Amino acid sequence: MKNDTLHLAGVYTRTVMKSWFQYNVDAVLRVLAVFLREATGIVVIYFTLLKFDTLNGWNIYELLFLYSLLFLTYGIFIVFFTGLRDFGKTVRDGGFDRFILRPRGLLFQLIFSNADWFAAIGHGGLGIVLFVVSAGNVGIRWNPRTVIYYLAAVAGGILIQGAIFLFLASLNIYLLETDSLKSLLYWNMRRFAGYPISIFHKAIQFCMIYVVPFAFVNYFPAQYLLRKEDMAGYPAVYMYLTPAIGVCLYLAAYGFWRYSIRFYKSSGN
Amino acid sequence: MSLIEVNEVSKAFRVSKRSAGIPGMLVNLVAPKYEKKQAVNRISFSIEQGEMVGFIGPNGAGKSTTIKMLSGILYPDSGSVRVDGYIPYRQRREYVGNIGVVFGQKSQLQWDLPVLDSFELLKAIYRIPEEVYQNNLSRFTEMLDMSGFINQPVRQLSLGQRMRADIVAALLHSPRIVFFDEPTIGVDVVGKETIRNFLCELNAKDRVTMLFTTHDMQDIEKTCKRLIIIDKGAKVYDGLLSGIRRAYGTTRQVDVEFAGECTVEPMEHVEIRELDGPGGRKKRFLFESREVQIDSLMGALLARYAIRDLTVSEPEIEGLIRKIYNGEVAR
Amino acid sequence: MTKLSPYLAFARKSFLGRSAYRFDHFMGILSTVLRIFIFWEIYRALYGGRAEVDGITITMVATNFILSLGLESVFYVNDYYLPSRIQNGSIATELLLPVNIHGRMLADNLGHALFQLLFHFVPAVAFSVLFIRIAAPAELSMAFLFLLSAFLGYGVLWTVSFVAQMLSFWLINVWSVMTIKNVFVNVLSGSMIPLWFMPDWMRGVIRFTPFSSIYFTPVQIYLGQLSLTEILCGFGVQVFWILALFLAGMLLWKKGQKKLVVQGG
Repeated sequence: MKNDTLHLAGVYTRTVMKSWFQYNVDAVLRVLAVFLREATGIVVIYFTLLKFDTLNGWNIYELLFLYSLLFLTYGIFIVFFTGLRDFGKTVRDGGFDRFILRPRGLLFQLIFSNADWFAAIGHGGLGIVLFVVSAGNVGIRWNPRTVIYYLAAVAGGILIQGAIFLFLASLNIYLLETDSLKSLLYWNMRRFAGYPISIFHKAIQFCMIYVVPFAFVNYFPAQYLLRKEDMAGYPAVYMYLTPAIGVCLYLAAYGFWRYSIRFYKSSGN
Repeated sequence: MSLIEVNEVSKAFRVSKRSAGIPGMLVNLVAPKYEKKQAVNRISFSIEQGEMVGFIGPNGAGKSTTIKMLSGILYPDSGSVRVDGYIPYRQRREYVGNIGVVFGQKSQLQWDLPVLDSFELLKAIYRIPEEVYQNNLSRFTEMLDMSGFINQPVRQLSLGQRMRADIVAALLHSPRIVFFDEPTIGVDVVGKETIRNFLCELNAKDRVTMLFTTHDMQDIEKTCKRLIIIDKGAKVYDGLLSGIRRAYGTTRQVDVEFAGECTVEPMEHVEIRELDGPGGRKKRFLFESREVQIDSLMGALLARYAIRDLTVSEPEIEGLIRKIYNGEVAR
Repeated sequence: MTKLSPYLAFARKSFLGRSAYRFDHFMGILSTVLRIFIFWEIYRALYGGRAEVDGITITMVATNFILSLGLESVFYVNDYYLPSRIQNGSIATELLLPVNIHGRMLADNLGHALFQLLFHFVPAVAFSVLFIRIAAPAELSMAFLFLLSAFLGYGVLWTVSFVAQMLSFWLINVWSVMTIKNVFVNVLSGSMIPLWFMPDWMRGVIRFTPFSSIYFTPVQIYLGQLSLTEILCGFGVQVFWILALFLAGMLLWKKGQKKLVVQGG
């Protein structure tokens, strides 16, 4: 990135943060609300495991560790990809027309002109809490190798989810209304991803590995560190693929975006 | 070659068609129908450097669609657009630095932040040199009398203040061409006047080329020499404002409801009609805008009588277009 | 009848208006089905082949999820109906209309809910039942009582939202409050974890909240888990919550309106 582009990214970030934190009391309440909403799934798992002890061989700490990857990646990822998450809205209210009228890259503007800091803090905070609670209790030996693996996996997970959003935003150019498709492909799959995918029907597992590859965001990376028995059902190499898949998928989604953007039609009045 | 060349441009949209009632609802759910709407139909015109052109027509005539094609947001289905040597929709990044666009209905300012923060952001986006930025900022702020609210969050501004800020936002990078889409919509009389004067001055001093759409014939009267009228996607008039002045009539009509029954003394050049019978509370004042200033008439009335309600009717664009179709105006 | 007719018109309008969101609607059905499947698969794994846990069979668990997630799609309440009107000030003009605003809100929600019942609940449940074994109603009469209790359950959910909406008189933004309210509804109503499996101390707490009356009471009736006296008791609790919450809401409404007047609109 050129120096001037970095400068603009900085100005954008400052402006966005200032906007999000205009209402102080409300801001705190919002972060709390996001935190609690996301913790719902955790509370449910916690209560369920109080009764049943293990889920397909995974104990409560291992499940929380699995979950923590989901939240940590989202917490970081949403700082960059809020603009793509809300792309449909931006198109509908004419905001995207405005980006076209400015002499800057469209994707660059989308990414830096919005960041949902409440979601970032809510999800990221939950991810950190879960990580702190679980990481010491699941028998991972933290050494340079595992730390580097972990960081690469988080980066890969961010790119995978970014690619999904970018792909959906590109589809939005043709369909104008993809919020429900997003809730199906992203949010529903994310619900599945909170659990070891081995418990699901083969068709759903297939979706999670090859269609919307959430399995590479948390399940396979967690398996590398935890080595649970149900990994036997999958090729061992899958544990190492997350960063590569992240990069490839993101590039593919970017290509699709570049191709699709030519067909953009302003929504008009 | 002209600065702006629009040649045989057309654009159509697909709109969904809803059926009514419960059976219709089931149809919508299973097999929605669409129809094609021709928003712009083979329009051509050209605009020279430094011109100030009014672009008018009824709702849905295709004004905004044309502006969007000129500014590079939309690709035309057929025909060509060339502005300042660029094809807007093909050479977006090189082109848009030369233009400014104001959408009266859609602000580009940051809703929760002071106006100045949005300007600072635009400075970074357009890579405006510090000197140019400071120059433009102080000059425009003064011309539009904005110093009182430049540090206030946009959400606290009145519509007129917001519009002024939005206009400055579109001009900070010193564009040579500016498109305005309804720049006075919802703005009060005083605000409209400020905006019109500002635009005239900018056009006269900086030779900025301007094209703007409006509903308000007074905007056009006070700012433009040339006028393009479109209706149902097609151009119906392109020429001097003076050419149609007689046709659309410069007659103004003011309906006044007085607080009590009264008689009004005769005024020069003003025809007074009693709407409630002689000496009644409701009266209509008719006059020619070039002979009587509306402000002075209202001032005179307000000074002498107690007034409950007052409506000013402006000449309707629809009526004007009807006259054009009827051949009352030469095209 | 004429007194009701404007409300029927609102309900009809809201019912018909739903068809505008075609794609959304089908995706919503799919989403409900997927959620039912997720929970079904999780519990199959948790049961690990056991016939029952604490006397609860896997079929009962499946029935709980199908019914409560299905009902969740029917139980439509627009949490922002009053808040949006209070915030943009249009509440003042709406209060001048000769229709009761709360009645209008209820009619609007009911029209939407009826649409959801016919075009969301029925297909989603029918599809799920093709793949997941659901328990038949314990008796035919229980099926009828289930419907009655589900209707009351909707009333409880509606009045919970009613109270929460009133807070918008005092808060700038109620999004956080609504989100937190929905967290409580989700966790404590049994639509994400069957209340049978909650730890005892939690069940003790939940008994004193309105949340178990929303989905869990109807489900228990459907499964024949409750005796006739217990069913009557359940109805009593549902009616109690509806009345109590409605009264609380109206009290806040009266206070809020005064505040609105003081602010001078």
